[in-house]
Parts: sequence; structure tokens; C-alpha cells
Amino acid sequence: MKLKVKFWSYFRDHTGCEETTVEMDDGATLADLMTVVYEQFPKLTGTEKCTLKAVGVEYQDDDYILNDGDEVSLFPPVQGG
Amino acid sequence: MKRELTLTHDPIAESPPQMSEGMGAVVTFHGVVRGTEEGEAIAAIDYEANEEMARHQFGLIFDALEKRWPVESVRLVHRLGVVPANEASLRVEIMAPHRVEAFEACQFLINEMKDKVPIWKRPQ
Repeated sequence: MKLKVKFWSYFRDHTGCEETTVEMDDGATLADLMTVVYEQFPKLTGTEKCTLKAVGVEYQDDDYILNDGDEVSLFPPVQGG
Repeated sequence: MKRELTLTHDPIAESPPQMSEGMGAVVTFHGVVRGTEEGEAIAAIDYEANEEMARHQFGLIFDALEKRWPVESVRLVHRLGVVPANEASLRVEIMAPHRVEAFEACQFLINEMKDKVPIWKRPQ
């Protein structure tokens, strides 16, 4: 399956891009995707504990099973106000 | 601290918005960009949002707020892009029957926003 991964805030500084496309096997979880993302963008290493993850407009946990076409957003803690 | 006190027989200049029957409290909060960030002078803050997700997350917060307090209305404006120091980046207005629920709902809304709504800032 094909997934779109979008980076927000200073995560873009680490990745050098706003988004990327990742191919994963069916049944892959968000945790599996993160392993691929950290391999592809090693500068994101160290942000693991503070990374927030959403699929579409909903926050999801690492054990969330992804679906073809999902759009995953990765970002640091939010700072509105 | 500056102090200003007025006791007057005239209408208060800063009138509340149109109120429904039974509504007796309006809490309005403005969040303003400070001229310093972590001790350093700044000119502005650049706000970025994942807008689609932000609208959804605000909606969830409004839903939770509505279940918890008898709030008549919520109005929220959050600026995006560059906001100069001393200008408001956030305005919240909560209308409710009594001040306790209006204040509590306002605090809840802002706390939840700071925890869940995907908006980020970059001092400039």
C-alpha cells in the first residue's frame, strides 16, 4: 500500500521536505511506518518521544493499522495561543 | 500595577454581545504576542496550522465543552501567519448563564487547544 507522510513545523527543517510517499506491506502499523521514516530521515532521530502522529484529522497510537491511501501527519508538540 | 476604577450611572462603554434570556456571563480572553520569548526580544510570531485537522480538533473540544457546561455560545479566532508583538493572536468569547461555567469553559478550551490543536509558532 502507498501512504503519504506530511511533516509539520520544525520537523520539515529536519526532513528538508513537506511530504513524502512510503510503500508499506498491508497490515503495517504506524510504528512500522515510523521505522521506515526514521531510516529515510535520520535527522528526525531524537524526536521520537515528542512526535505526535495523526492519520487524516485524528490522532492515532503506534498500533494503529494503516490503510492504502492514508495521509499521515507527523509533528512536534502543539503551541497554539 | 496600574489601577483604574469607575463607578458610573452610565452604560458601560464595552457592551457585551447580544444575550439570550437566561445568559448572564460573557468571558472574553485575548492572547497577545509578548515582545520576548525565553528572555530574547522578538518582533513577531509566525503561526502555522494544519488547518483541516485544527478545525476538526477544535470541533471535538467544542463538543466536549458543550457536554460539560451549559454554554450558550463559543466564538474563537486564532490568527495564522505573522503576528507582530503586542497584537492578539487569539480571541475567545464564551457566553453562559453564570460566570463560574463561563470562566471554567474558557480555561478548558484554551488548555485543550494547547494540548491538541495542531498549531505551531516560530518567534521572529
